[in-house]
Amino acid sequence: MNAIQPNTVKKPAFRSLKAYAFDPSLSLKIDTAGINQLVYKVPWEDLDTGPSGEYIEVVDYDPTVKKYFKPVDLNHPYLLAQNGLDPSESNPQFHQQMVYAVAMTTIMNFEKALGRKILWAPRLLEDRAKFEEYVQKLRIYPHALREANAYYSPVKKSLLFGYFSSFPANNVIHMPDALVFTCLSHDIIAHETTHAILDGMQYHYNEPSNPDVLAFHEAFADIVALFQHFTFPSVLQHQIAQTRGDLGSQNLLGKLAQEFGAAIGNYGSLRDAIGEIDEKTKEWKPREPNPNDYKREMEPHARGSILVAAVFEAFITIYKSRVADLLRIATNGTGILPQGDLHPDLVNRLSGEASAAASHVLSMCIRALDYCPPVDITFGEYLRAIITADADLVNNDSRNYRLAFIDAFRRRGIYPEGIKTLSEESLRYAQEPFLGQQQQDFFGVLLKFLKEFRDATIYTKDRAEIYRLSKSHISGSTTSEGLNKKIVFSMEDPGEFEKLTGLVFLTQNWEQYGVRTSPKYKGPSFRIENLRLVSRVGPDGDQLNYIIFSLTQRAGVIVNEDGTISTYVPDDAQEPPKRGFECWGGCTMIFDMANPSLRYAITKPLLDPDKLRQGIRQLNEKRILKQFRYQTEEAILHLSEQSLYFGAGINNNFNEPFAFLHNH
Amino acid sequence: MQKISHAEVRMYRLGTGDCFAIKFFSKEKEEPVCKLMIDAGTWSGSGTDLEPYIKDLKQYLDNYADVLIVTHEHKDHVHAFDVCKELFTEKDTKGKQFEVGELWMGWTENDRLKKVKEWKEDYGEKKKALGIAALTLQETMASPEFKKQFEGNRDAAKMLGARETFGKVLNGFADLHVAFEASSTGKVYKGGLAGMEVVKKDIKKKEVKYYKPGDVIQGIGNVEGIRIYVLGPPELQEEIAQEAGGEGESYQHNKVLRESDTFGAAILHLAGNDNGMDAGVLPFDEKYYDIDKRLEYIQEPEGKEAILKEVDSMDTIKKIYEAKDWRRIDYDWLFSAGAFALRMNGLTNNLSLAVAIEFVDSGRVMLFPGDAEFGSWASWHTIDWKEDDRSNGNTDGKKQKHLTEDLLNRTVFYKVAHHLSHNGTAQRLGLEMMKHKDLAAMATLDYNKINDGWTSTMPNRSLIKELLLRTRGRLMIMNEEGLFYDFNEEVPMKDKIEDARNSMTDKERKAFEKDFISNKRYLQYTVKA
Repeated sequence: MNAIQPNTVKKPAFRSLKAYAFDPSLSLKIDTAGINQLVYKVPWEDLDTGPSGEYIEVVDYDPTVKKYFKPVDLNHPYLLAQNGLDPSESNPQFHQQMVYAVAMTTIMNFEKALGRKILWAPRLLEDRAKFEEYVQKLRIYPHALREANAYYSPVKKSLLFGYFSSFPANNVIHMPDALVFTCLSHDIIAHETTHAILDGMQYHYNEPSNPDVLAFHEAFADIVALFQHFTFPSVLQHQIAQTRGDLGSQNLLGKLAQEFGAAIGNYGSLRDAIGEIDEKTKEWKPREPNPNDYKREMEPHARGSILVAAVFEAFITIYKSRVADLLRIATNGTGILPQGDLHPDLVNRLSGEASAAASHVLSMCIRALDYCPPVDITFGEYLRAIITADADLVNNDSRNYRLAFIDAFRRRGIYPEGIKTLSEESLRYAQEPFLGQQQQDFFGVLLKFLKEFRDATIYTKDRAEIYRLSKSHISGSTTSEGLNKKIVFSMEDPGEFEKLTGLVFLTQNWEQYGVRTSPKYKGPSFRIENLRLVSRVGPDGDQLNYIIFSLTQRAGVIVNEDGTISTYVPDDAQEPPKRGFECWGGCTMIFDMANPSLRYAITKPLLDPDKLRQGIRQLNEKRILKQFRYQTEEAILHLSEQSLYFGAGINNNFNEPFAFLHNH
Repeated sequence: MQKISHAEVRMYRLGTGDCFAIKFFSKEKEEPVCKLMIDAGTWSGSGTDLEPYIKDLKQYLDNYADVLIVTHEHKDHVHAFDVCKELFTEKDTKGKQFEVGELWMGWTENDRLKKVKEWKEDYGEKKKALGIAALTLQETMASPEFKKQFEGNRDAAKMLGARETFGKVLNGFADLHVAFEASSTGKVYKGGLAGMEVVKKDIKKKEVKYYKPGDVIQGIGNVEGIRIYVLGPPELQEEIAQEAGGEGESYQHNKVLRESDTFGAAILHLAGNDNGMDAGVLPFDEKYYDIDKRLEYIQEPEGKEAILKEVDSMDTIKKIYEAKDWRRIDYDWLFSAGAFALRMNGLTNNLSLAVAIEFVDSGRVMLFPGDAEFGSWASWHTIDWKEDDRSNGNTDGKKQKHLTEDLLNRTVFYKVAHHLSHNGTAQRLGLEMMKHKDLAAMATLDYNKINDGWTSTMPNRSLIKELLLRTRGRLMIMNEEGLFYDFNEEVPMKDKIEDARNSMTDKERKAFEKDFISNKRYLQYTVKA
């Protein structure tokens, strides 16, 4: 705590910064100019010029002309007095201010929903012994490329934004050859920042082992960008008034990257969660869900937009049910709104409901990340995670939020595998899996250790320290042996633990299953990732105190020509054998610390769970064949032009995988 | 009028690229009634390498082609004119010189048209930018600074490798469009492709003709009995710019953005090709970066102090940027050249002079589309054919079939566009309309001589499958060696083609074996008129 300092002025809670709500194009239209300029309220932090703070550093160097642009000093008294610089396309300092304001807003929305600090993905080192290195700040380069694109680079832990001269479909939509800056689009900044945050939370989600993985990354980034629109009250009220309360009709809130879309020759925004512009009539029309899309669409952004549409539809359903009573009151029960503008009070109330619903939906989506398997995510599993996470926190789903989600996913043909019915009970992951006596003792040891971890970290606010503590608790330090060894050495019944996690924990012959030997002890190698503390409070005051970590393990598998499967032991210094590739298994372990027990084990098994139940240990052939088919056929068929010519194939993570527009 | 009985189509095996000689015969004479040559290009090879093929071609044509068609300006269509220039332009030891009656090109090569000239100058600048981008990237990647950015990273070698692949492919695209010259420092940009110049200026010819879609040419020279329909290049910029259609339209669909002018400007600037930093290159006013300059003009101490503070803060940013090599982004932007290259490639392909050659009596058609991509194919179906009398087979009250569709229906020989790539052949508006039972196809693909990046798109599996089905194995590929039918490279193309040929009847099979000749210099197929 700070020492008491009499007679000093307290630090402000927020720093107010002006920026566009969407992008510069909307400031040029009479009907939206008024709402497009916003004041973002970013939590106060000590800032260096750049700006550079706790989470991000903006470095405005333009490599295409080898120039540094003057960095903005947001601490300048003149800027503090007028909420930062005025929005301007021609002032690079405003660009720096805007990327800072939007990226920080996105980060804060995550922290609010997650109930903990976010950490960037660590840098992976060549030196295997050191393994990784902490990254304090995400770097943002507002003017890094001359292309209609922007991306998060997982290798450089940086966001790179491009600028380009526009080439609109016709001159009425956008001025041709005008410079367009992607770093001035709220949606693009929020999208790319989300990629970075998600990479920090689920580091394996950039490995395309099935068509949903990269699509999930894209969808999630779009969802965050879209729902952030609803946190701007003036924008929301304006749009509610304009759509007369019907958010299922054409509106700005469901549209993504308007200026960018127009500038690259579209007839509207780049993406739209609820509708599209008919190419013939040039009129907007709502998009009907088509289950075939999920079967057919393989390009990550297009496939991702199916998930975005599902989540957005769930939101619309929830919003409609929340405002049904208001509309009844306003219309004397007829449901027919009178002609003309809505009453401002009604607009206010409707906006309040929309904002609440949007914030709930976004929180549900973000929280679900903690309930996803650590590898090989599918949309179906994400639905299960959403349902489980929400049911955990909100016992009484009085407004049928969960049903709205289930229904929206069902209408798009997104079904999780391995469940018997599409009910909330079946979708929810099994709670408190049954454990035998030996397992209970084993978990008793783990829980004791996790409690120590909690006590050490619970009041830690410094992100570097959180990272250090979690790392030392995983791999051990000079004074304690760490979770990794705790698991290896306390395990009494590996067979039972295998049934629970689906991973290989045999005490002999693990290499037969393609699993490497640990460099630290004689046993199968596995990794513990993302050890974290979760504490949340539900709307009914229910408290949740969890500790979560993920176990991951890889196996080298070979799909032979006759369809049988054999294995090899992966060696990073060598190329895999012919038809050989790595299949990752993983399990997210969720522990309830209030009522000390294992609450969930959410698994993506390497071993076939059905066979394991029968006492047979066998690799999960179905998963392996699915991954093989995807990576050797389906994905190749749908690679972008650019990856086809320039990439080294589907498994090439060594180029940049997170471009805003897919041509990498 | 000479009654045409058949045509011999000879594909020279120069390597991935087109070089065709076609002789038309009548029943009465042993000598051909007319001779046509289309392109002389390949992806690589020196004059010495190609000499035997070109000599063979000259002998086959007896040093004279009634018509030479040059489809478009890509190395794989004009390279031999460059490296074997003497063979095409000088007298041989017997005092004979190669000569053509008419040279045919697309309207887009007619530099006398103002519209074409302006567009070509602009396009030339872009090609130059592509060439310079490729060179810059190559030089950059050889520098120690480039490698430094990956040092210490996990999988640094693989990251570097991925970029090296990219560089190679980009070089391939640059080579396809522009010429380089060796110099003391490596390669330098030279200009347009010399092969095209040889064709336009040096080859002896009587006349040059430029064609546009909708043109119908009655006969070659004084031989009637054949009629040539010009399908492309399209007349609209939008159609030229479209290289792929949607699902079901081309064998794979994709959208590549228009090349960004901003990128080209920065690249040209990089090579010192403009006058200093002009406003067109910089995104912002100079007051945002040249701070030091302002010091000279400002006298007030407060003003000076403020500027010195700014200078200081810029130094701080510079230090932050330079502190960590692994976070630097000096070169990432150069990889935008990929989208740029693809776009240039597609555009040029769509400038191909595409023709359908019809045997008038039988209505059978040979289709030579150059490397036309989807945008061109689609435009063929909107051509206003003034002489629409050939498509009136079904006028019984029904809507008359568009002549283009009719021509495709009657196609018995198809020169596969763009070496079996995914977007070289339109699906619904192309191959699916080729329904003739005698359909045969020739593809100019050779894995021994090909651009690095192309092997991932050529051959396209779905296209091969469809072609094998429709031709029943009458698919003739320049070189089947190294080609596989499946992704896992287990079914050799040769076996699969052989397999498909089994679906012909004995009679058809015998006829095919008689019509098809294959040797080390060329493949030849006889098309019945």
